[in-house]
Amino acid sequence: MNQRARWHVRDIILLALIGILFGVIFLGTNFIYDGLTVALTPVGLAPLANDISMGLWIMAGPLAGFMLRIPGAGFLGEFLAAVGEMFFGGQWGASTMISGAIQGVAIELGFTLTGYRFYNWITLLLTTLTSTVGTFAWDMFRNGYAAFSPKMLFLLLVVRFISIFFFGGILVKLITSLLERSHVLHR
Amino acid sequence: MNASLKLLLVLLISLEVSFTQSLSANLILITGSLFYLMIHKTSFRSLLLLGVVPFLPALGLFVTIYYFSPDHDLHFAWVLFTRMYVYVTAGASFTLTSTPLDLALSLEQNWHLPSKFAYGTLAAFNMLPKIKSAIVTIRTAGLMRGIVLSWWSPQLYFKAILVALNWSENLAQAMISHGFVEDQPRTFYRQIKITIIDYSMLIVIILAIQLPIWLLP
Amino acid sequence: MHSLTVNNLTFKYQPDAPIFENVNIALPLNQFNVLVGPSGSGKSTLLKIIAGLYPQFGGNLISGNITIDGINLSTNQHQIAMLFQNPNQQFTMDTPRNELIFVLENLQVKPSEMNARITESLNFVDCTELADQNFNTLSGGEKQKVALAVIVAMDSSVILLDEPFASIDPGARNHLLAKLTELRDKHHKTIILAEHDLHGYQEIADQVFQINPGDSNIVALTQDAKKKLFSQFKPITMTTRIKLPSEYDQPVITLDHFHLTQQNKTLLEQSKFTFFKNKITLITGENGIGKSTLFNAIIKLTPYQGKILVSGHDVKSMKQKKLTRQVGLVFQEAENQFMAITVAEEIELSKKHRLTTYFTDQLIKDSLSRLNLSDRLDQVVYSLSEGQKKKLQILLMLISGQQILLLDEPLRGLDIDSLAAVLVLIKKASLAQQQTVIMISHQLTDLAKWIDYHVLFAQQQLSYQEVL
Ligand SMILES: Nc1ncnc2c1ncn2[C@@H]1O[C@H](COP(=O)(O)OP(=O)(O)OP(=O)(O)O)[C@@H](O)[C@H]1O
Ligand SMILES: Nc1ncnc2c1ncn2[C@@H]1O[C@H](COP(=O)(O)OP(=O)(O)OP(=O)(O)O)[C@@H](O)[C@H]1O
Ligand SMILES: [Mg+2]
Ligand SMILES: [Mg+2]
Repeated sequence: MNQRARWHVRDIILLALIGILFGVIFLGTNFIYDGLTVALTPVGLAPLANDISMGLWIMAGPLAGFMLRIPGAGFLGEFLAAVGEMFFGGQWGASTMISGAIQGVAIELGFTLTGYRFYNWITLLLTTLTSTVGTFAWDMFRNGYAAFSPKMLFLLLVVRFISIFFFGGILVKLITSLLERSHVLHR
Repeated sequence: MNASLKLLLVLLISLEVSFTQSLSANLILITGSLFYLMIHKTSFRSLLLLGVVPFLPALGLFVTIYYFSPDHDLHFAWVLFTRMYVYVTAGASFTLTSTPLDLALSLEQNWHLPSKFAYGTLAAFNMLPKIKSAIVTIRTAGLMRGIVLSWWSPQLYFKAILVALNWSENLAQAMISHGFVEDQPRTFYRQIKITIIDYSMLIVIILAIQLPIWLLP
Repeated sequence: MHSLTVNNLTFKYQPDAPIFENVNIALPLNQFNVLVGPSGSGKSTLLKIIAGLYPQFGGNLISGNITIDGINLSTNQHQIAMLFQNPNQQFTMDTPRNELIFVLENLQVKPSEMNARITESLNFVDCTELADQNFNTLSGGEKQKVALAVIVAMDSSVILLDEPFASIDPGARNHLLAKLTELRDKHHKTIILAEHDLHGYQEIADQVFQINPGDSNIVALTQDAKKKLFSQFKPITMTTRIKLPSEYDQPVITLDHFHLTQQNKTLLEQSKFTFFKNKITLITGENGIGKSTLFNAIIKLTPYQGKILVSGHDVKSMKQKKLTRQVGLVFQEAENQFMAITVAEEIELSKKHRLTTYFTDQLIKDSLSRLNLSDRLDQVVYSLSEGQKKKLQILLMLISGQQILLLDEPLRGLDIDSLAAVLVLIKKASLAQQQTVIMISHQLTDLAKWIDYHVLFAQQQLSYQEVL
């Protein structure tokens, strides 16, 4: 894959398309989230639904960052996906954009830590870490996580990390490997 | 109201209610948003949908806080419940009354967003209905060749991304052949302005909601 | 004479196989130039080079340039407008009017002049009523008309058209051809048009250029050669008789009290209609009448009212997974069919879950070579030429081997030889695998001898016809 410092219109379209694609997937994720919420509420673990689904919500950013390899791609991919979801009438309304921006910044931070120099497992581990911490901090406010017991918080954090690592790490890596092998990214 | 300012307003409101805990402010904001939507002739069906869409996640939050958090805080439970509705009604006040085109034009003309970002994103947004059907088509095309693609299969995403790559290539070529040149000046058929009224409305509304947010429970 | 000149052009996608080598041609200005050549010979490539899109978007320009009256092209932009072969992904905006505004803004036209130019150009191609309709709800033919309107609005002196009529019904095609002639005669435009199906061009074309893939060259045809070429495309005056279904035919797909709508518009309403087993049935009908939508309904991609019975079973109660193992659809857009990356991988994939063993490795190899795809095995499917995509797509679905095969415009954009090869392949495979074939086509040349039945889709009804 090539390193391009400048945004060209086709990169922007690609980024937006990925964002929108994931916006649609996020909408689907909302149903998974709802189902999990319904299932987990009676046992008092409803917030867990959020953390289990988090990985799917986070996927657009690492993927965009990996595919385009331009600083800012991770943020924009995630943010546009959120804007997309809001326009399609997602259940989180305007807060989607805020979550999207925060998730985007958190993901981008992972790429920034590598100095945009390498794109491998370490990068994905870093984005997983930064996005786990970043989104968790945000949920302290938005979803009232601050009210939970430390034990619960720890459980949520671990589940979130695993989810993000699975979807935003392993799955993204699988997809980008497929793309790499196909040479379609060498444009 | 100018699209980008409206979006800013919606964002500021959503951000503020995320960090504060005033039930009355939430209710006022929901009422205000609904009122705004109604004067913009939003269909009854859309309004009803706004009630249904956030219900499950809102209820989930309510139950968790009220029944399972250490303090069983009923007020906070209601705050979280109504907060979801603030997000959705405020969001809808923007999305149901402005189009992506309005927003793109305003960002391009008022905030000097480079036109390649404005129209690149817009081009992608306009493919939206195609994207939705493309995902269904991909699954069907797979089935016809004996491949079952599920939510978690990398193949589905992979194929979707191949499609996106291909479309971005085609769309970029189409834009260029329709005379679009990156970073070259363009004329504007629709002049988008931000008026004093727009700014005043933004400021007045923001100021007005500070009262209930900080003074009322 | 004034001309658009291709000077010393050498262009490659792959290092060892140039598409063009030292090509020198002069296309006269203010004339109607037709570009011909078999599928995959480089028509689209040449047009995109002239339009300035290649090598920016693909391929390597080894040497050469394009000049108009000796002046290098890249220095004077907006002289060239191009209509792409693929009717999709051609527009930035959501509606024709917004697209036209976008285009005129790009050309820095004064806002006060825009309305007049928009109205004028939409009028010119007779699609004023489409101005505010969303592109996603236009049929393929309608999109091509709007694309033409955009080109008229751009008012460029050179107009490039890449198989503009491949998915357009015969009536609309004649109308648009007349409009193109008008552009040349009244507005003095230079037209360069790539095409396989040369019906109706004999009187219009001033010059014909032929790409010879063998020596990677392009030549201007002499008068005699032109005559010979056009004689292959005699006007279709003779109608051929086609049999009607007999009482011995067995039903395979039955529509029962069937009602198909799209956006509150009724496309098809029929109390009973039957397609028959192990036959090749051709469906014809105007652009936008609902042919593709009907196919989509049969494989549960589009909702409908009433019943569809496939081999006696109600489609609605069938899982899509099971249904798609009985009914295969060759999509109108070839790219929808592809799942893998290279041609070879696509074929492997089809072999993996195929339903019959008719396609042996040897037969696949033979078929590939007859379709002229043998040397494309490692190419990424998306980079194939449109005709090559279509051929591969058909082969893939034939290998798959469903009992019922629905083909949506399988003959679009194929040259005469490919056309024959594809039809032979379909006929043989469907006989050997005992398949029912239902096929949509706007391209009707010589089709009569390949089909069993002809169904006309008109006025919201399907009906068997005795002629083609
Ligand atoms: N990116 C690419 N990499 C490799 N080969 C390519 C690429 N793009 C096109 N080709 C090949 O170059 C040749 C010319 O393609 P082009 O699309 O110009 O053909 P065409 O004459 O327009 O064919 P058709 O009539 O089918 O549209 C084809 O054989 C095609 O497979
Ligand atoms: N997604 C859609 N939403 C709304 N209308 C649509 C949609 N898809 C198609 N239509 C409309 O339905 C009608 C039938 O379309 P369809 O694609 O079935 O036509 P067709 O007979 O296959 O035409 P063509 O020969 O051009 O392929 C057209 O008028 C088209 O504008
Ligand atoms: Mg071509
Ligand atoms: Mg069709």
